[in-house]
Amino acid sequence: MRGGHDYLLITNNPLVVRCMGDCYPIEFVEGGYRDVLVKARDMVYIGHTLYTHPLAGSVKPNETVYRSIAVSKNPHAFSQEQAEMMSNSIMVYDKFLPKKRMLTDELLKDFQLVDYTLIAGAMEFDAAAGLAK
Amino acid sequence: MKLELGFIEIKDIQFSKESKLENGILFVNADEAKNFVFEDDDVKACVKDAHFDIAKPGESVRITPVKDVIEPRVKVEGPGGEFPGVIAKVDTVGSGKTHVLRGMAVVTAGKIVGFQEGVIDMSGPGADYTAFSKLLNLVLVCEPVEGVHQHEYEHAVRIAGLRAATYIGELGRNVAPDATKEFETLGIKEGIQKWPDLPRVAYVHMLQSQGLLHDTYVYGVDAKKSLTTIINPTETMDGAIISGNCVSACDKNTTYHHQNNPVVADLFEQHGKTLNYVCNIITNENVYLADKMRSSDWTAKLCRLLDLDGVIVSQEGFGNPDTDLIMNTKKIELEGVKTTIITDEYAGQDGKSQSLADADPLADAVVTGGNANQVIILPKMDKVIGTLEDIDRIAGSHAGSLRPDGTIEAEIQVITGATNEMGFGYLSAR
Amino acid sequence: MSYRVVHYINQFFANIGGEEMAHVAPELREGVVGPGLAFNQAWKGEAEIVKTIICGDSYYAEHEKEAKAQILEWVKAEKPDMFIAGPAFNAGRYGYACANIALAVQEELGIPVLTGMYVENPGADLKDKVLIYETANSAAGMRKAAPGMAKLALKLMKGEEIGASCEEGYMPNGIRKNFFEKERGSKRAVDMLLKKLRGEHFVTEYPMPSFDRVAPNPAIKDLSKATIALCTSGGIVPKGNPDHIESSSASHYGEYSLDGFDKLSSADHETAHGGYDPVYANEDPNRVLPVDVMREFEREGKIGKLHNLYYATVGNGTAVASAKAFAAEYAQKLKKAGVDAVIMTST
Repeated sequence: MRGGHDYLLITNNPLVVRCMGDCYPIEFVEGGYRDVLVKARDMVYIGHTLYTHPLAGSVKPNETVYRSIAVSKNPHAFSQEQAEMMSNSIMVYDKFLPKKRMLTDELLKDFQLVDYTLIAGAMEFDAAAGLAK
Repeated sequence: MKLELGFIEIKDIQFSKESKLENGILFVNADEAKNFVFEDDDVKACVKDAHFDIAKPGESVRITPVKDVIEPRVKVEGPGGEFPGVIAKVDTVGSGKTHVLRGMAVVTAGKIVGFQEGVIDMSGPGADYTAFSKLLNLVLVCEPVEGVHQHEYEHAVRIAGLRAATYIGELGRNVAPDATKEFETLGIKEGIQKWPDLPRVAYVHMLQSQGLLHDTYVYGVDAKKSLTTIINPTETMDGAIISGNCVSACDKNTTYHHQNNPVVADLFEQHGKTLNYVCNIITNENVYLADKMRSSDWTAKLCRLLDLDGVIVSQEGFGNPDTDLIMNTKKIELEGVKTTIITDEYAGQDGKSQSLADADPLADAVVTGGNANQVIILPKMDKVIGTLEDIDRIAGSHAGSLRPDGTIEAEIQVITGATNEMGFGYLSAR
Repeated sequence: MSYRVVHYINQFFANIGGEEMAHVAPELREGVVGPGLAFNQAWKGEAEIVKTIICGDSYYAEHEKEAKAQILEWVKAEKPDMFIAGPAFNAGRYGYACANIALAVQEELGIPVLTGMYVENPGADLKDKVLIYETANSAAGMRKAAPGMAKLALKLMKGEEIGASCEEGYMPNGIRKNFFEKERGSKRAVDMLLKKLRGEHFVTEYPMPSFDRVAPNPAIKDLSKATIALCTSGGIVPKGNPDHIESSSASHYGEYSLDGFDKLSSADHETAHGGYDPVYANEDPNRVLPVDVMREFEREGKIGKLHNLYYATVGNGTAVASAKAFAAEYAQKLKKAGVDAVIMTST
């Protein structure tokens, strides 16, 4: 597990809160994938460091509804590259047309799981142990 | 390192009482094959049931959801065995002789998660978009034990496919190949002495490594936990790299792609003629940004260390990997090593959006596998191997994708290998 | 029944004369004139040029509004299946006219259009808006261009789907189209790399987007202490346009004082911009350069103060390179003056 940093997880995924909430401070976003991107962007703009790629995973932005991004808890120095990465990712999000979808509970759980394993993998957090809790 | 591939042309596959390979016809005893697959503890624990089916080119058959595609091979001479570190022991492969059952594949199918995708149509317009429609496919359809965790099940189905391919490959051990071909790369000094005037070229092979359903294994090692490193091109022909990636069908590199890496094949075509093919550099596509920095720094460093003149860079996936692609390309170019990159595009259904999530003017030589958002109508097929149950949920389709008349309206990203980013296919865009 | 086409050419291709006759006003002729013959031949009766419109290049450039109105009227009356302009090859003003009138026909009348020219012709700037067939840089290229243009035009008339730019011969227009290549991707990559290594010409399959996107600076923490400047490409200048900023393709920018102005008015400011209806900007120049609101914010303490100088140019057809050079220059002045942020307005 990555520790010793001032990590903060921005997420709208309840599974991330459940499994990782004990180990990392969480900024829970009531909203969708895009809202998480916007929150991360705003934090990066004021100097928080971006630790994980905002478009992690091959599940397309118009498929999954969950997103988790690790940033620094405290603002450090503004990074133009990271600001660009955040604004690019929102543009990428917006080019995927919204879809009419039937999101069953089972499907939502699968999307939560994949988002959780992506952020857990990035944070070197034991995903299986987290689920066992 | 030198490897001889012996190609056995498979002309037909039939179920039979006895498993054997005779006159190009593969006879399979399905029960025996299944028993071999289930000898593995993880498969036994996680896979409730599995059955084999056969799909042939031109048939009105749809295979979906596809997890992996694997070419059966068997090591007949030299150290190691196929899929080292996973099926065979971890010995270094890529030398000696290997028999290849050409013209066929083992395909694993069946649901792993609810939004999984992967369509192979054996005929009709969809067949044009996947090379796997031209193969005789032995399909292994798996079903999970109830309550099994998705990550355990993904692992079990991955192993099941590799075991099935191993079982079939073994049938070609004592069959005389129809044709043979040698592949050899030289040591650094040897290469320079032999071809002092040829440009030194390597292949930077980016491996999907983001997490569950997005992983690649090298000699059994999860690529996300490895630093950028060097591998002999012939090692990949013996299954040193296998796919654990099953989310994005159109631009995932299946195990078959790794075994038959087209960049490796086409660089070998020019090897000793117009270029000196030095090696493959394998690097990952992690989610953690510092990993990306480190891996791409390392890639550029190795290019310089190897005194390369040029590289081809291929990627796998969309979004996050675009960043690795551009980081690698930029840093390699800044070392004075010329690059050509292979990617695909998500330019929207109308083709008007920005294709990549990242870009840089130094990436001035790009080959594209086409726009994955292109919409296609797939006609109804007489037979479905796997299930159509989830077709409305897969990436590139939507509620109502499966129409009452059985046709499917979806983006070509649902088709396995449609926009492959190793340049396996002929599709492109302008 | 064959498809009916209206063709647009300039005075030179109509055999009226060269530069000395470029002033001639639009003229409508029956049937085919000059280069249109090559299209008719290629169509073999499937389509036919029914009318040819001829206009002098200088006339079009100097009387664009009138010329356009006249030509649109003629085309509308004819109700053709297709409008073709040119090809203009490397003739700059002709190319501009072709692309411009083709765009007008497409937008106003909804008729399929096609033009053709050399890739460096200034008219090719419109390639994302109107279909432009790529030709050689001289009229000698007509023999090669005519069959390709004719074929593409026929597809448009029939309403058939248009293939990728490299298959059909039109200039890449920002719309990505899939097609099957003759060689697989890896082979194309190896070939491209070999060319690049040898220093030979190669063509990328995906040109990287132009990089004029700017990452935002960090947000201003306290606006109430910030000095904010106004800049515009909307052409707001002191009345009389003292620096003679051009109404299009501006070659410079102006620096003007806001000292003593609580807001702008028609008595003291106007727009130099020739690309939009100036009535509302002239009536109340604050609509483009919001001095009135900025003064209000200043009084309310929302911002520290409004910078006493503003910078203005005209964005109408101004080259991106020129615009960049203007900004690079006055950005230094703004920085030196201690300005914290800039509001840039366009039209």
